[in-house]
Amino acid sequence: MTTLVPMPDTMPVAREYFQILLMLVFPLHLMLMNAMLGSTAVALYAGWKRDAVLSRLAHELAKALPFLVAFTVNLGVAALLFVQVLYGNLFYVSSILMGVYWLAVIPLLLIAYFAVYRYDFRFLSLHGAAKALPAFALLIFICIAFIYTNNMTLMLNPLKWQAYFHNSAGTILNLGDAALVPRYLHFMVGGMAIGGLFVALFGRLKRNMEPEVRVAAENFGMGMFVYLTLLQAIAGFWFLMSLPQKVMLLFLGEDVAATALFLIGILCVLLVLVAGIKKKMYVCAGLVVPLVYIMVSLRAIVRDGYLKPHFSTESLHVIPQYSPMYCFFAVLAVGVFTIFWLVKKAAGSFQRPQSKE
Amino acid sequence: MNYPVWYLPTVGGGTLIALISIIHVFISHFAVGGGLYLVLAERKGLQENSRAILDFTKTHARFFMLMSLVMGGITGVGIWFIISLVNPAATSLLIHTFVFGWAAEWVFFIVEITAIFVYFYCFDRMDARTHQIVGWIYFIAAWLSLFLINGIVGFMLTPGDWVVNHNFWSGFFNPSFWPSLFFRTSVSLMLAGVYAFLATSYLKDPTLKFTMTKYSAKWVLLSFLPAVPSGYWYLSILPNQVRALVEGASLTIQKTVQYGLYAVIILIVGTLILMLVKPAFHTKPVSFIVLVSAFLFMGAFEWTREASRRPYVINEFMYSNSILKKDVEELNSEGFLHEARWVSLRGVKENNLLEAGHEIFKNQCYACHTIRGINNDIAVRTALMDYPSLFNYIGKIHEVRYFMPPFAGTEAERKALAYYIIKGIQGKDVAAPEQRQPTVSGKGKELFKTHCTLCHPEDLVKTKTAAWDRNRIRWALDNLNRLQSAMPDYQGTPEEKDLIADYISSLKTGGVAETHDEGQEVYQKNCAMCHTLRGGENPLLPRITGWSTEKIRGLLDRLDKLQGGMPPLQVPGEEKDALAGFLAKSLQGGSR
Repeated sequence: MTTLVPMPDTMPVAREYFQILLMLVFPLHLMLMNAMLGSTAVALYAGWKRDAVLSRLAHELAKALPFLVAFTVNLGVAALLFVQVLYGNLFYVSSILMGVYWLAVIPLLLIAYFAVYRYDFRFLSLHGAAKALPAFALLIFICIAFIYTNNMTLMLNPLKWQAYFHNSAGTILNLGDAALVPRYLHFMVGGMAIGGLFVALFGRLKRNMEPEVRVAAENFGMGMFVYLTLLQAIAGFWFLMSLPQKVMLLFLGEDVAATALFLIGILCVLLVLVAGIKKKMYVCAGLVVPLVYIMVSLRAIVRDGYLKPHFSTESLHVIPQYSPMYCFFAVLAVGVFTIFWLVKKAAGSFQRPQSKE
Repeated sequence: MNYPVWYLPTVGGGTLIALISIIHVFISHFAVGGGLYLVLAERKGLQENSRAILDFTKTHARFFMLMSLVMGGITGVGIWFIISLVNPAATSLLIHTFVFGWAAEWVFFIVEITAIFVYFYCFDRMDARTHQIVGWIYFIAAWLSLFLINGIVGFMLTPGDWVVNHNFWSGFFNPSFWPSLFFRTSVSLMLAGVYAFLATSYLKDPTLKFTMTKYSAKWVLLSFLPAVPSGYWYLSILPNQVRALVEGASLTIQKTVQYGLYAVIILIVGTLILMLVKPAFHTKPVSFIVLVSAFLFMGAFEWTREASRRPYVINEFMYSNSILKKDVEELNSEGFLHEARWVSLRGVKENNLLEAGHEIFKNQCYACHTIRGINNDIAVRTALMDYPSLFNYIGKIHEVRYFMPPFAGTEAERKALAYYIIKGIQGKDVAAPEQRQPTVSGKGKELFKTHCTLCHPEDLVKTKTAAWDRNRIRWALDNLNRLQSAMPDYQGTPEEKDLIADYISSLKTGGVAETHDEGQEVYQKNCAMCHTLRGGENPLLPRITGWSTEKIRGLLDRLDKLQGGMPPLQVPGEEKDALAGFLAKSLQGGSR
């Protein structure tokens, strides 16, 4: 019943700007999220093993986790902003329908955030159950991802919104959707795989770690990347098969551009796998970035395919006012420059011995 | 009405918003002022070449980083989540109108994160000058975040010319922008001092503790200097109606302002004593009291700002229940249920009154009222009303109380809402209890129940018509709208009216009819919604018990001059006379 789709608000600039901005920041958020997820999982495994080298790796990852959480959340905020501009009228509805779970993301995130900080600051004095802190954080992260998958699929299915008239307490999940589990696995397995690659890169690039810890990070990370990418191929295929036929066919010839992009994506996965098996880490990383952008584009095609009978961003009305956008671009330029300067100074300070103790 | 309602009747969305936003506002202001505190404390350490002060600054920076990044950052996202769940229409409007304001704020947020990480993790690693610059970058980025959010939050209270031109800049640089910016900046500096105050209470080194306590106390007090004039400036630019609410027209706001004032006094006394008289008295409990006072002060300010915006969520544009001001007229003629998107039924019928009323409650009242919850419980608010008085009150609710949005819908929908509240929530019977009336034919009773009890309980009709003969009742049935303008004329046949007249007339003989009291009726319609006459439940009663009719009558003419923001009693003089007589009679022997 498409009449349930709320009337969207007007936009200040053409929708393409928001689509580009969303396409720019969302993959960054995903890659950071993957790094966070993978690092937590590896830290958990490495901390669990009674192995001195792996334990040191866990400690190094523990130090990185607070940064990863902070920037994952930050880039998620930007992605969420642009999603709200383009799809707010759908997104608010699905969020309300599952309000209890959706809001639970906040306390869950707070707890996980504190857990990773505690894991970092108290690493050396942790014992017993406290060693399970990364397990705790990981459990929360995968719960949050499940909540997100529910919301992002529920927003695409206005026909399922009728459930509201039997339950308005915000406890509806999209569990009946055949695509829910494969989609979730697709994101989680893929995320973990890229997380493995991050750990390997972390080992390669963080020069102040001991050589055996760096080697352990590289080996473990790349192994994780290759095996999970293979598994991901199965999850991806399942996901494709679970899509409604009208959406699935878009990638199987009905839409030339979508099919071409899909094939490029598969090719990219194959190349990444070969590079991974050959342990060509930089080639892998160089291919994974465009691969994530391709996957996000495919995801956008899926979204629009689902929504086609109910809503299209083409119907969004623009009442133009461009000056705030120009101001934003100026702020962004200054912001990027400042961040670059800060990182440069910080990196410089870590390259020389500490001035005082 | 464009969106579904996340319906938790005993909790209320407002409670959840308040819970998250008060914590966030407190931390986010601290995150701004705290940035400056860190830089200046570090500079003090450098100038005095004090390792102890530098170490204190570093420890404070770690606490600060955890507090602002984890609690501040996540609760900030939490506000977004909760407002979009509770008021999606307003959130969508704010997002679409100010998307590039939000986007720029996100840039400052990421700069803030990077800067505080670099500041903390590179403490003692960088040369002092660069490290100080990093601190300044943090503070400036945090303050610019405040600058942006201040524009958007201020827009909701004072949208200014935006209401007419829908221009980003008009909305952003709205009338309260500058005073609010100065005020918030002062408050954020004050909070930074208060937090530091707490931190210094944990210091073990007495010399360092003495130095930093004095430093923090001065900080708190100095930040008050700009807070006072900017607060006054802020108040002075508020629209009249909003200012009237803040200045006492709303009892709840009045109380909140009072608490805020007490908190400020404790805060000043706490810091003054500690700084000027005995810095040695600076203990953890004292610093906690100061911190709690600051929290209360901040909470009181934000709560007052939010509450004084009522009945709007975006002043003069969108009501708290998401209904646009411009749409009310259309909803009144076309019907709310007919126009709303997320309702399960499209109109009011005699067999769906409860359901229709519930839908309307959910969409129009639940934004502010819970059902037996802690916040603004509708059951408590309407406990004294009966069906006709509530129906009447809903119709003029926005006139009686400025902070209430007008009811938007048809008369039938208003009846359904009153019906739901009285029957569905209060559990009161809208129709009178069954009584044996052997002298009256079943037909008249049936007609009466079908057409009259929707608004008039049997008891009320019995009381009202106690002194009437059958002819007068019959005449009244031909002139219902003249009797009461809110009452529609009865559309049935003359024979049906005869039967109803017979039935109503028979009520006198079958029941324990009380003498009709016009004053009681005036009381029910105009006063009972706020003031009970039950002893022990109304603190005002002892003050007027025993007053003469004349004295009460005099009071009724100047209700709006009394403290507490009573609206004037807008009824004819005769009704005031009757009410005064009724009250004098009721209170003569003490409260009932």
